[in-house]
Amino acid sequence: MKRTTIGRGLFLIINNFVLIALVLTMIIPLLNVLAVSFTTDMESYENTIKLFPRQPSLTGYITLFQRVAILRPFLNNIFVTVIGTFLHVVFCAMAGYVLTKENFLGKAVIAALIIIPNMLPFEMIIIPVFVTVKKLGLMDTLWSIILIKVISTFSILLMKNYFEGIPKSLEESAFIDGAGEYAIFFKIYVPLAVPGMTTITIFQFVALWNQLLPAVLFLNSPEKYTLQIALKSLVVSQELTSTTQSVANNTRMAGIVVAIIPLILLYIFAQKYFIKGIMVGAVKE
Amino acid sequence: MKKAIEKLWLSFNKARVLYLLVLPSLIFFIIFTYFPLFDGIKISFQDFKFVGKSSYVGLKNYIEALYTPGFWRVFKNTVIIGFSNVILTAFIPMLLAVLLNEVKFGIWKRFSQTIIYLPHIFSWVIVGGIWIFILSPNAGLINAVRSFFGLDPIYYMAKEIYARPIIIGSNLWKQSGYVCILYLATIAGISPTLYEAAMIDGAGALKRTLYITFPELLNTLKIVLLLNIMGSLRMFNQIYVMRNEVIARKIDVLMYYVYERGLVQFKIGYAAAISMIIFSLTLIITLISKRSLKYSI
Repeated sequence: MKRTTIGRGLFLIINNFVLIALVLTMIIPLLNVLAVSFTTDMESYENTIKLFPRQPSLTGYITLFQRVAILRPFLNNIFVTVIGTFLHVVFCAMAGYVLTKENFLGKAVIAALIIIPNMLPFEMIIIPVFVTVKKLGLMDTLWSIILIKVISTFSILLMKNYFEGIPKSLEESAFIDGAGEYAIFFKIYVPLAVPGMTTITIFQFVALWNQLLPAVLFLNSPEKYTLQIALKSLVVSQELTSTTQSVANNTRMAGIVVAIIPLILLYIFAQKYFIKGIMVGAVKE
Repeated sequence: MKKAIEKLWLSFNKARVLYLLVLPSLIFFIIFTYFPLFDGIKISFQDFKFVGKSSYVGLKNYIEALYTPGFWRVFKNTVIIGFSNVILTAFIPMLLAVLLNEVKFGIWKRFSQTIIYLPHIFSWVIVGGIWIFILSPNAGLINAVRSFFGLDPIYYMAKEIYARPIIIGSNLWKQSGYVCILYLATIAGISPTLYEAAMIDGAGALKRTLYITFPELLNTLKIVLLLNIMGSLRMFNQIYVMRNEVIARKIDVLMYYVYERGLVQFKIGYAAAISMIIFSLTLIITLISKRSLKYSI
């Protein structure tokens, strides 16, 4: 009996060390980025381990907003993310509600049209999608990247599942009171489905905030750039072309910090929905 | 006949509101999924031009793809990187989840879960940017540690030998927290009576983990493997961000090749043919793995 407790104690100690090491692998890179973003230009090039700045300085951020002009891409990103998320939630909730209805003309066809695209990743049709967007005259507009992923099968099915959990009796009594189909959907179902809608809001917000490929494909003019493209040329492209190296490490890391702050805030305030959404997401795919 | 039409009209009219509610989604899928899909099949048989008439060239694009060394190189890279990602990002998080589950101190457990999940919500521009900086010879963290021990800096991102491990490692860094949480949720759902019964039978903690926890995780493992396979075939963003001309030969993957040929060099027909090959491959692999993993959820 005693032996097992010693063995158990040893295991717990080793286990906690492993986990501390794990958490440090996750945290140290982030701390390093944060620290470097607050260094002076000079210090950001020193070959020393930086977990906090020696002389805290805002130079990196000042360069980021003045010379690199990150504000425009940042605002573009907010525009795309907010409008895109709003439309996504409204449209997917509407479609999800329709899929809960039984026996109406064309239900099977509609359901199939919605479910099949799940097997077709966006990446695999980028060439014809590019051609389509060009034909529609949406090239180089922010609307192209808002519209390109405005609906997803995943969110429609999630909303369908959510609506199915709402008791039918509510709908029936409203129907008897003379409420029409629109009123039943918007006044009864939508308010009760707020938690489900919050989950898809959060996922779509993160997806749109991070959206890279459509922006790479469709946007050409710098004043249309979203945050991810602006950041890509800031943090990546300069590595190998040392001749054009004009932005210091502190500015590059400041760019990363600015881009992750909205995500971290969202994560802190809505952690519960993240965890819930992950589970549903994995099971659905 | 007239009666049938009338009846059809009546049932159409009855569901009028439903059609209006689902209309935006249907329009979206038709314009941005179905039309491009069929258009893509057509383009893959064409010598496509934006201006002027595109002519049909039969299987030329497909044959060209299969005889281009470039295609087979990125194919090989996709298989090597993809396979490593599928395996590592399924089993390492599983081990971590079992370890994390043994932690009894609630706050520490919650804190570590919160932290390891964090990189999952960052874009590849962010994660790629962080790792490119950390591995940089220009004051990057790893080289700072090396210089602390008096070692010479290494330019990791410009050495072919490190290219694939860096891609695979940074993917593991980004995704393992997410996968870990999937496993943890499954573990939390295992009935405690199973463990109690095993305890009464005299099974120690190790045996309980081996004979109860791991088998119960099997179903989640299948889902994770399938998610990883799909993710590996569509890998683009990470490579787009982290590649450079020096290491491109080792890490360019299929989707990047499609992008480069189609939308940088504008060989649209050729790139569409390759997309079609990848798409058919994805379908086949998904169907096979769904069947062989007895995917049942």
